[in-house]
Amino acid sequence: MINNPKPPQLESKMVNLLGHSESIKFYESKSDLEIWRAFDKGDEFAFNYLYRTYVVRMFKYGCQICRDESLIQDCIQNIFIDLRRKRGGLNEVLSIKSYLFKILYREIIRKLNSSKSTIHHGNDIIENSFSIEFSHEMKLIHEENMEEKRELLRSALEKLTPKQRQAILLLYEEGMSYKEISVAMEFSEVKSARKIVYRALSSLKEILVRK
Amino acid sequence: MISVYMKYKDYDIENFISDEFFVQWVKNPSENNRHFWEKWLEQHPDKRFVVYEAANFIRSINYNINPDLPDKVYVDMYENILKFDEAKPVNKAGRNSGGFFYLFPVKSIAASILLMFCLWIQYEAINFRTENEEEIQIAIISKSNPVGQKSIIDLPDGSRVHLNSESEIEFPASFSEDKRWVTLKGEAFFEIQKESRPFYVESGLTSIHVMGTTFNVNQSENGSLYVALVTGKVRVNSKEGEEVDLEPKEMLVIEQSGTYYKTGFDPLDIIAWKDKTLVFKSASLREIKSKLEKWYGVQVEFKGVFDNNWTYSGIYEDEMLENVLRGICLTSGMKFSIENKKITITNPK
Repeated sequence: MINNPKPPQLESKMVNLLGHSESIKFYESKSDLEIWRAFDKGDEFAFNYLYRTYVVRMFKYGCQICRDESLIQDCIQNIFIDLRRKRGGLNEVLSIKSYLFKILYREIIRKLNSSKSTIHHGNDIIENSFSIEFSHEMKLIHEENMEEKRELLRSALEKLTPKQRQAILLLYEEGMSYKEISVAMEFSEVKSARKIVYRALSSLKEILVRK
Repeated sequence: MISVYMKYKDYDIENFISDEFFVQWVKNPSENNRHFWEKWLEQHPDKRFVVYEAANFIRSINYNINPDLPDKVYVDMYENILKFDEAKPVNKAGRNSGGFFYLFPVKSIAASILLMFCLWIQYEAINFRTENEEEIQIAIISKSNPVGQKSIIDLPDGSRVHLNSESEIEFPASFSEDKRWVTLKGEAFFEIQKESRPFYVESGLTSIHVMGTTFNVNQSENGSLYVALVTGKVRVNSKEGEEVDLEPKEMLVIEQSGTYYKTGFDPLDIIAWKDKTLVFKSASLREIKSKLEKWYGVQVEFKGVFDNNWTYSGIYEDEMLENVLRGICLTSGMKFSIENKKITITNPK
């Protein structure tokens, strides 16, 4: 390991972050695995693509865990610095988004635990994480019961555990598959992701089918 | 294939909402899932309601917290990440000890922004106090909708405003003792509480004086202003001092040039939007395009040869875009495709 894998030097590493879409155009059609391999090899365009595609989503996701926006920003920055340092020896990644969500979650929890000021509030933060907004746009068939039904759904959603809310939001807000959810939530089996969603939805089922 | 089609026909709402293939179609429609679900719906028209209810449920669930990452932070972080590997070449020992330094930039930027903000607030506060003691008491609330979104706003006096997409309304957090007012850009339907204080809607250069009433105001893109009265009484004052009283079912049109006239109106045309009802009344292709774009916040493009005399009529109550497009295309033999927010309508004939 004498020769560290050096990324190819571009004229300017800033690769025109905003208003330049070459990296997006080039990588859009590629699979996650190909993009990740290119990044691992030191391709700066691949890094540019990752940053542009995932940083805002990561930020939004992170804010569901903890509302300290600058802490989330720090975590994202650290993650990318760390990933860049490990280039050349990165593990293969099949779904980049769920992998980045996984390490972001870990990093946030690590940071919350390590900072003394929040040590007593750490559990509260997790307890309140992944709050769900149930929008009032929803229209149900039986108008007269609509308001009541909405309220029931809302309070049923509030009773879900943080993990259940996390899985529901990954499914509905992020549009992830069960496979991706199991990666993001570090379940060893896809079955576990299905189970947690089914269990969460079973408490809503009665309200939904009620006429 | 048959077995796949069979599987979903016994589904109830809770099966749909936990089916990832179904969720994918609702959240990220692609060529593949759209093809399947459209075919499936054609074969199971009785399942339409369950499917729409399930899709609506999925769409109703969102993050409660929706912060934006400021552009400045977005760019700074990128720069910090790149600068960091110049400053510190690959060095395993340094990985842990480096922790504190590399988060320094974001923190310090945040701190200096906060400091500047505090200074500014203080400066503003001092300046305001000395200038006008009363003005600062009344905060102005501003609500606006982007394209494709409508909202209902309750005013401090209990009046209600249905605000259409691409529209903006401003009003004080509390009305004064002698007057209630809002300013409007775009279109809104008003349900005004009857009380002794007069109510004014200011739209461009026109002021509408109301007592207690329901009416629609539309400051259209072509520069004209449409005031349509449903119940009660309103008086419209132009800035030139002209005054027109409206009776129920009358609409006042003020053109950009200043000329104005009264006309009747079809409530379905003018106020159905507030009940989420999309109406096409002998609509031309151009009207269809502009209505769909405004209603759903999408871009519509027509490709191919179309009959210029063709028009379409239809009423859709709180429908999904896919269903409206299907309806339009069903009677005309046209085809449509959706890619993100871009809709292409083609005429294969």
